[in-house]
Amino acid sequence: MKCIRWPIILAMSLFLVGCESTRYVPGKPLTGDPLIDGQNAIESGPPKDRVLWQYRTAVVAMRRGQFSEAKRLLDDALARIGNVLGKDPSARKARGYFSPEAKKTFIGEPYERVMAYYYRGILYWMDGEPDNARACFRSAALEDSGTADKKYSSDYVLLDYLDGLASLKLGGDGSDAFKRAEAEARLSHPPTADAKANVLVFVEFGQGPTKYAMGENAELLMFRAGVSSARAAQVLVDQKTYQLRPYDDLYFQATTRGGRVMDHILANKAGFKRTTDVVGDVGLVSGLVLATRKDTQVAGLGVAAAGLLSKIASASTRPEADIRSWDNLPLFLTFAALELAPGPHTVTVDFLDEGSRLLGGQSKIITINVPDAPADKVVYVSDKSSTPQTQ
Amino acid sequence: METKNLSKISLFILAAILANGCASSGVRNPSGVPVTEMKADERGFVAGTGVESQDLVAVTDKMARSILNVRQIANAQGTPRIVLDPVVNETRFPINKTLFLDKIRISLNSKSQSKVSFLARDRMDALEKERRLKQAGQVTSSSDPNVVEFKGADFFLTGKLQGMTTKTAAGTSDYILYSFQLIDARTSDIVWEDSAEIKKQGLEDAAYR
Repeated sequence: MKCIRWPIILAMSLFLVGCESTRYVPGKPLTGDPLIDGQNAIESGPPKDRVLWQYRTAVVAMRRGQFSEAKRLLDDALARIGNVLGKDPSARKARGYFSPEAKKTFIGEPYERVMAYYYRGILYWMDGEPDNARACFRSAALEDSGTADKKYSSDYVLLDYLDGLASLKLGGDGSDAFKRAEAEARLSHPPTADAKANVLVFVEFGQGPTKYAMGENAELLMFRAGVSSARAAQVLVDQKTYQLRPYDDLYFQATTRGGRVMDHILANKAGFKRTTDVVGDVGLVSGLVLATRKDTQVAGLGVAAAGLLSKIASASTRPEADIRSWDNLPLFLTFAALELAPGPHTVTVDFLDEGSRLLGGQSKIITINVPDAPADKVVYVSDKSSTPQTQ
Repeated sequence: METKNLSKISLFILAAILANGCASSGVRNPSGVPVTEMKADERGFVAGTGVESQDLVAVTDKMARSILNVRQIANAQGTPRIVLDPVVNETRFPINKTLFLDKIRISLNSKSQSKVSFLARDRMDALEKERRLKQAGQVTSSSDPNVVEFKGADFFLTGKLQGMTTKTAAGTSDYILYSFQLIDARTSDIVWEDSAEIKKQGLEDAAYR
């Protein structure tokens, strides 16, 4: 009977070790097409990364002019982040000592959530729903609230400007929103809004910020600055040129919020890790010393065992920050509102360097058909958009 | 004695393996929750501070009951005809605007016993096309297609959603005012107006703050 006891216990242990509540199903092989790979990652990847892949894939779709696909992805992602209030088991686990922050469902840092709403707002306006677009810009601005220094709270120029422009076009008063946009302007000042402008050109360029971790236990979330050879853009249409200076900088937005509540939790985890590590060392060394003497052997083994437990706890503690990033965001956002006659037009968007010189090979050509009043034509262009496009 | 100590150590290791292996312990609903059907006016476990189905049902039911008591509707000679004008969204939540008025229309149609009639102005393109086909003789017609029989509106029914949001370290609070109006198409009088207001608040897990 005794000889079969241990195999049974071992078998049970192995069974329970395998008892995992989540399984990672390996994704499909990479195809090299970011849209297909993104969709595969959404379908087959870990659920906690679903929103991240939806964000990334939506931007790829937008840059290819596949706006219906982008809409679908962003709607699903925004439904998730809009319902983050209340109890969340993955978030609770992420706060625990023995799970990393990356255990939680990714919804993004505030600048990432802002961009999800921003893109969805553009798509609503494209569909002739400026009020729903405005709703998205307002939700985006709210995501940027709650900063440590109030002067950086909800300080995106474009979000307030577009809020005001949508209100103006809906026959309302956008003056408060325009005043806020003007007060927040750092890189350049937005133009006076024109209710007669019927072509809205949303332009973005550069490579946005990405995250990395620092600190003894990688518990400090940091942001790597974005890069951009382009510093401005220009739009050419109907033999007229319109200069576009950037209004918002996503690296600035990412780095001016102050600390997160989660940073304190990670600092506590790192402190626990260090303390249990030290306690473990002391316990092991002193326990083993005591164990060499016959009269203190049992006590020594007990202290050593406690030290070992402490070392295991320290090794198991996971204070590292979550560095999953929406890594295909732009660095700079800009915008132009033009008045064009109804009918077909060819729009060329060029990107300019710091010296206002044309950056070769980056021009984008978009063919548009401007509808009759009162509908607006919305155009979206990135320095990474495919060209030519018909929008 | 040695065997006893060995057993204790083994039990300790076994406990450690169990604690490490059973990762789903403490996780609520590790296997998910099967789909259950709910009533539209019931609050689900998936909720935010925005506009949700139970809000839509509560607000539109209230509006429909209120409209039926309007003197111009209750005492109307003949059947008043109403056109739905799109709801204006001034909140921070993108919404399906037609859903509100469609729900009010459906509630009114089912409760009013044909006291009111709605005009399908959103279908005018299709209706005009049909009329042109009849006029051209390409399709049959049970009446003279050259006579204008499209009805004019007696009233316009429209609405507005306005919101106020507060966000602090204590959480997010959203207040939404749903207001609806019945406007006399001839005189522009607002013959009826009613509203409903809903406030919600919540706080996300610290891991997201």
